[in-house]
Amino acid sequence: MSLSNRDPLVVGRVVGDVLECFTRSIDLKVTYGQREVTNGLDLRPSQVLNKPRVEIGGEDLRNFYTLVMVDPDVPSPSNPHLREYLHWLVTDIPATTGTNFGNEIVSYESPRPNSGIHRIVLVLFRQLGRQTVYEPGWRQQFNTREFASLYNLGLPVAAVFYNCQRESGCGGRRS
Amino acid sequence: MEEVWKEINLASLHQRRQLNIDHEPLNQELPPLSSSTQHGSFLPPPATVLSLNPHSIDTHFDESSRFGCSEKKRSQDSDESRGDRRHKRMTKNRESAVRSRARKQAYINELELEIVHLQKENARLKRQEEQLKMAEATQHQTKKILQRSWTCPF
Repeated sequence: MSLSNRDPLVVGRVVGDVLECFTRSIDLKVTYGQREVTNGLDLRPSQVLNKPRVEIGGEDLRNFYTLVMVDPDVPSPSNPHLREYLHWLVTDIPATTGTNFGNEIVSYESPRPNSGIHRIVLVLFRQLGRQTVYEPGWRQQFNTREFASLYNLGLPVAAVFYNCQRESGCGGRRS
Repeated sequence: MEEVWKEINLASLHQRRQLNIDHEPLNQELPPLSSSTQHGSFLPPPATVLSLNPHSIDTHFDESSRFGCSEKKRSQDSDESRGDRRHKRMTKNRESAVRSRARKQAYINELELEIVHLQKENARLKRQEEQLKMAEATQHQTKKILQRSWTCPF
């Protein structure tokens, strides 16, 4: 059963700007400190300084997963000509475990948006086999779709996003 | 009629002095301004009229036309660019508003999904609690009589 039109990933245009439409099949739980990330949650740079705890579902420990974290709204959502920026890439995560058990091939770089409200997207893919995914040369102008196609990752199995703006941002509200 | 000619005279005199065109010396062409009877023969030709001295008229015309036309063009450009800028700003604002609404709606939808999820979990946990309570109650009843529960290992 594919994502509904009311799904936050569709309404927030994550499906479209970053991902193809997919069906959720694996649990994905992302936690910054005590805060669990739900779609569209507003987080400030100070709250996402350090890498989050990521726990994934699945059943078979012989299946390996890749986690991608990107910002599609660089340098600003009104003019995202540098889409996307790769913040984190962890591969070979066994099912039922978390990123601590995977291979961090691109280290976590905390989001520090300067202009506008950026979406930060975390996507989980299932690998065909172990050690079949390699890091890109650079973080800028990353393309999640192409990356998935290149390493035969197929469609995502899970995704979640949050919103991040600079510390002193007004939350998109002016009064 | 004389006033009109005087005006034109003054205007052309002003222009010639500004543009510093060095053809005939000025005093030869221009009649004294006070005289009213000489307007027939001594008035300098207005810039728009073709005269025997094509050079002066050309440069005169060019300068003035260039000056006049560029002025008009500049204001036209700024008019157009002002409209363009306004239009650009409008579309940018519209896109920003669309993003803002999408952001808000995505968050609301997520909250609604969470509510449903949490209500289900709550109901499940309550049922589980009930079951555990009942199980404990029945266990208590059987334990009122002393029983040997562990046999000595040796």
